[in-house]
Amino acid sequence: MSVAHDVGVTGVGVLQVVVIGIGGLVLLGLMRKVRARIEGRVGAPVLQPLRDVRKLMRKERLRPEFASWIFPLAPVVLVATVTVAALMTPLITTHPPLAGGSDLFVVVYLLLLGSTLVALAGLDTGTAFGGMGSSRALTIGALAEPALLVTILALSVSSHSSNFPVIVRATLADPAVIISPARLFALAALLIVIIAESGRLPVDNPATHLELTMIKEAMILEYSGPDLALVTLGEAMRLALLLGVLVNLSLPWGVASSTSVGALAIGTIVLCAKVAAVASALSFVEVFLAKLRLFRLPELLAGAFVLALLGVVSGVVTK
Amino acid sequence: MNHQVFDNVLGLGCGVVVLSAVVTLWRHSLIAIIRALAVQGVALALVALTLGLHGHDRGLEVVAGLVLLAKGVVVPALITKVVRHDVASRETDPLVNVPASLVAAGVLIFLAFAASRSVTALTSNAPGRLIPFGMAAMLIGFFALATRRKAVSQIVGLLLVDNGIALVAFLATAGVPLIVELGASLDLLLITVVLRVLATQMRRRLGTVDLDGLAELHD
Amino acid sequence: MLWIILFVPVLCAATCAIVTWRKAVGWFGVASASIITSMGIVLAVRVVHGRAAVGYHGVLRADALSAFMVIVIGVIALLATLQGVRYLEAEIAAQRCTTRHASLYAVLIQGFLATMLLAVLAAGLGVMWVAIEATTIVTTFLVGHRNTRGSLEASWKYIVICSVGIALAFLGTVLVYLTALHAPRHGTGALDWTSLVAGSHHLDPGVMRLAFALIVLGFGTKVGLAPMHSWLPDAHSQAPAPVSALMSGVLLTVAFYAILRFKVIADGALGPEFARTLLVVVGLLSLVVAASLLLGQRDYKRMLAYSSVEHMGLIALGAAAGSTLAIAAVLLHILGHGIAKGVLFLASGEILLAEGTSEIKNVSALLSRRPVLGGIFAFGLVALLGFPPFSLFVSELTMLRAEFRVGLGWAAGLSLVCMAVIFGAVMSHGREMLFGPKGTDDPAVTPALVAVPLIGGLAACAFIGVSVWPLGALLHAAAHVVSP
Repeated sequence: MSVAHDVGVTGVGVLQVVVIGIGGLVLLGLMRKVRARIEGRVGAPVLQPLRDVRKLMRKERLRPEFASWIFPLAPVVLVATVTVAALMTPLITTHPPLAGGSDLFVVVYLLLLGSTLVALAGLDTGTAFGGMGSSRALTIGALAEPALLVTILALSVSSHSSNFPVIVRATLADPAVIISPARLFALAALLIVIIAESGRLPVDNPATHLELTMIKEAMILEYSGPDLALVTLGEAMRLALLLGVLVNLSLPWGVASSTSVGALAIGTIVLCAKVAAVASALSFVEVFLAKLRLFRLPELLAGAFVLALLGVVSGVVTK
Repeated sequence: MNHQVFDNVLGLGCGVVVLSAVVTLWRHSLIAIIRALAVQGVALALVALTLGLHGHDRGLEVVAGLVLLAKGVVVPALITKVVRHDVASRETDPLVNVPASLVAAGVLIFLAFAASRSVTALTSNAPGRLIPFGMAAMLIGFFALATRRKAVSQIVGLLLVDNGIALVAFLATAGVPLIVELGASLDLLLITVVLRVLATQMRRRLGTVDLDGLAELHD
Repeated sequence: MLWIILFVPVLCAATCAIVTWRKAVGWFGVASASIITSMGIVLAVRVVHGRAAVGYHGVLRADALSAFMVIVIGVIALLATLQGVRYLEAEIAAQRCTTRHASLYAVLIQGFLATMLLAVLAAGLGVMWVAIEATTIVTTFLVGHRNTRGSLEASWKYIVICSVGIALAFLGTVLVYLTALHAPRHGTGALDWTSLVAGSHHLDPGVMRLAFALIVLGFGTKVGLAPMHSWLPDAHSQAPAPVSALMSGVLLTVAFYAILRFKVIADGALGPEFARTLLVVVGLLSLVVAASLLLGQRDYKRMLAYSSVEHMGLIALGAAAGSTLAIAAVLLHILGHGIAKGVLFLASGEILLAEGTSEIKNVSALLSRRPVLGGIFAFGLVALLGFPPFSLFVSELTMLRAEFRVGLGWAAGLSLVCMAVIFGAVMSHGREMLFGPKGTDDPAVTPALVAVPLIGGLAACAFIGVSVWPLGALLHAAAHVVSP
C-alpha cells in the first residue's frame, strides 16, 4: 500500500465528520420518506432536510427578548460536541483521529453535554413549552443514563476495555462475540436508550407539534434561522452517530482497518448502507407504534437497565 | 458442536430465561405475560437440547422435547384459557409498581449470584457457571408471586419459580433421573390444571380473578 | 409386598370411580384403610430386625421407619374414613353435595392415601419428592370440597404456598444430587437414599448446607413450620373434618419424614450442628407463632390447626436433639399427635354439623348438652395438651429430656414457656366450649358410628402411652434408621 493513497489521520477525520453531517440530514429525510411511503403518501424528497438547513442558514436570526447567553450557545455546543464525538468514534475506520481518547464514556458524555445544553436553552427562553419540553427531556435523560452506563459496562466486559476502537477491533477479530448473550443484551438496551435519547417513537414523536405530547420539538420551539439550522444539523448528526455506533457494535464488517483510499471508500459505503438499513427498519417499526404515555417511560427505561444488567452479568459469567 | 457456539447458545438460552422472567414484571397485559412464559419454556427446552446434543445424552434430548411441549405449549395454553374470558385482563395495580419491580429484579439477579457461589464453585464447567441465571429466574418468580395480585400472574410466578429450578437442574446435573423428571413434569402440569380450575371457580363465584377478593380468612 | 400396599388405595379409588355412589362406597375406604394398617403391621414385623424390604426394581424400599409411617397413615386413615362415611351422608342429606361430588371425594381420599404411602415407601429422594408434591395436588380439591368462598380461598393459598415450598425442596434435592454426582465413587442411583447416606461423608459441605436449608424451608412449608405456615390454619379449618384429620394427623408428619431422611445425609456431610441449629430455629419460631395466635383464637378448627403448628415445632425440636432416644420419642409423638389431632378434628366436624358454627363463643355447655361428643372433645384436648396417661405425655417428656442432654436446655426451656402459654389458651377456649349453663333440652345422642371409633382412638392413644409394648421394638428400630 503506497503512501500516496493514504489520506492520513486528518483526512479520515474530515471524512467522518462530513459523512456524519451530510449523511445525518439525508438519514432524516430517508426516515421521513420511508414512513410516508408506508403510510401511502409520496412524502418529501430524501434531500429535503438538507435544503431546509440551507434555507434556514440564510434566514434572519430571531432570539427571545429575555434569553441569556445560553440560548445562542446551545446550538453551537451541540454541533461541536457531536463533531468531536464523530472524530472519536470508529465509524468508517477502526482508527479514528482521536482514537486515544475515544473512550465510550467520553463519547457518550460528550453527546449528553450537547443535549443538556439544548435542554437548558429550552428553559432559558422562559416560555411554557420550552420549560415543559426541557423538563421532560431531562427526565428521560436522567432515566436513560443509568441504563446507558451499565450498557457500556456490558459492552466493555468482553474486550476488557471501554476504548471504543479497541472494542470494534476485538469484535472484528472474533465475531462470535456478537452472538454472546452479553453483547446481545447490551445492544438491545442500547437500542432502547438510543430511541429515548434521540426522541423517536415510542418515546417521543418527532413529527408532532401537539402541545401536550411533544418533547424535543417543544424545547427548540423558539429557535429560528441559522440557530434552528444548527440544532437540526446537530440532532441529525447525533442520530446518525448513535446508529453508526449501534451498527458497528453489532455488524462491524466493512469498517476500514487502514486509512487507504480504497478501504475508506468501502468503509463509507458500507457504513451508509448499514445505517440506512437500520434507520429504515426503525421508521418502518415506528409506523406501527403509538407514543407511550410519559409515566410509562420509566418502565421502558428500567427495562433497558435490567437488560443491560443482564448483559453485564452474562458477560462476567460466560467469560 | 463447536465449543464457543455451545457456550453462546447456552448463555443465550439462560439469558432469555431470565429476560422473559423480567418481562413478566415489565408488562401489564396478562396475555403478554403468558407469552413471556411460553418464550421461557422454549428457551428452557433450548438449553436442555443444547446440553443433550453437546453431551450426547439421548435422555436429555427427549426431556428437551417434553419441556418444549409442556412448558412451551401446553401450560401457557392452559393459562390463556383463564384470561380469555376475563374482561380486565391486565395487571393494573401490583403491590410494587413496575419500575421499582424492575430495579428489584436487578437486585435479585445479583442476589442470585451471591446465593449460588457455593454451587458454582463445585461445578466449574461452562454450564455450571450459568447456574445463577436459574436462581435469578426463580427469585424473580418469587417476587412476582409476592407482589402481583391477579390469579393468573400468581400462577405465572409459580411457574417462573419452577422453570428457574428446572434450569438449575439442567445446568448443574444435566437433569435429574428420568423418572423424577417425568414425575415432576406431570406434577407441574397437574398443578397448572388445578390452579386453572380454581381460577375458573373464582371467576364464577367472585366475578373476578383479582386475589384481593379473597380476604375472608385471617386471624 | 410393597407395591401391594400402594395398590390397595389405587384399586379402591378405581372402584369408587366406577361404581355409582351408594352408601357402601364409603365403606370401601374403610376397608382400604384397614388393609393398609394390617399390611403395615405385617411389614413392620418383617423389617423390624433391620433388613429393609425392597420392591419394584429398587424404586420402593421399606425399612422400619417406613413401616412405622405406613402404620400411622393406616390408623389415622381408618379413623378418617369411618368418619368420612358420616360426612358424606350428612352433606348429601343437606344437599350441599351431589353424589358425583361424593364419588370424587372418595376417589381423592384414596389417591391422597396412595401418594402418602408412595412418599414413605420410595427408595429414592426424587420419587419421594414427586409423591409429596402429588399430595398437594390431590388434597387441594379435598380442601375445597365444601365449595364455599372460604374453602376456595383456602385451597388457593394452600396450593400456591405449598407448591412454592415444594419447589424449594426440589431445588434442595437437585443440589443434593449435584453433590452426589461430584462425590467420589457415586453410583448410578445418585438419589438413592441408602447410597447417599453411605457416601454422605464425601458430599460437598458448602452445597449441602444450602441444600439442607432449602429442604427444611421447602418441606417445612408442608410440615407447617413457621415462617411458611400461613396456609395451614386456613386449609385445615376449611377442609371437611375427615380431610383435616388426615392432613393434620399424617400429611404434616409425612413431610417431616422427608426432612428426617435428608437430615441423616446432612449430618453425615456437615456434622450434627448445622441441622440442629436450623431445626431449633424453625421449631422455636413455630412454637412462638402458635402460642401468640392461639391466645386470641375465635375459631375452634383454627385453634386445632395452630395446635398442629405447635406440635410440629415440638417435633422439630426433638429431631434437632437427634439422639436415638429423641427420634424414637419424635416418632411416638407423630403417632400420638396424629391420633389425638385426628380425633379432635373429627369431633370438631361433628360439633360443626350439630351446632352449625365454628366460632368458639357460639358453642357452650357441650359436656351437658352432648355428653358423649363433649367428652370425646374434652379428652382429646387433654391428650393434646400432654396429660398422662396419653402417649403425648411420654413423648414430650422424652423429647425434652433428650434436648437437655445434648445441650439444648435453653431451647427446651423456651419451648416449655410456649407450651405453658398454649396450655392456658387451649384450656380457656376449651372451658368456654365445654362448660356453661345447660339448656332445657335433653342431652343429644351422638351416633355410635361417630362415637365408637373416636373413643377407640383415644383409648389407643392412652394405651400406647401407658405401655409402649407392641411398638417398642419398632420405634427403636425406626429411630435407629435415622440416627447415629
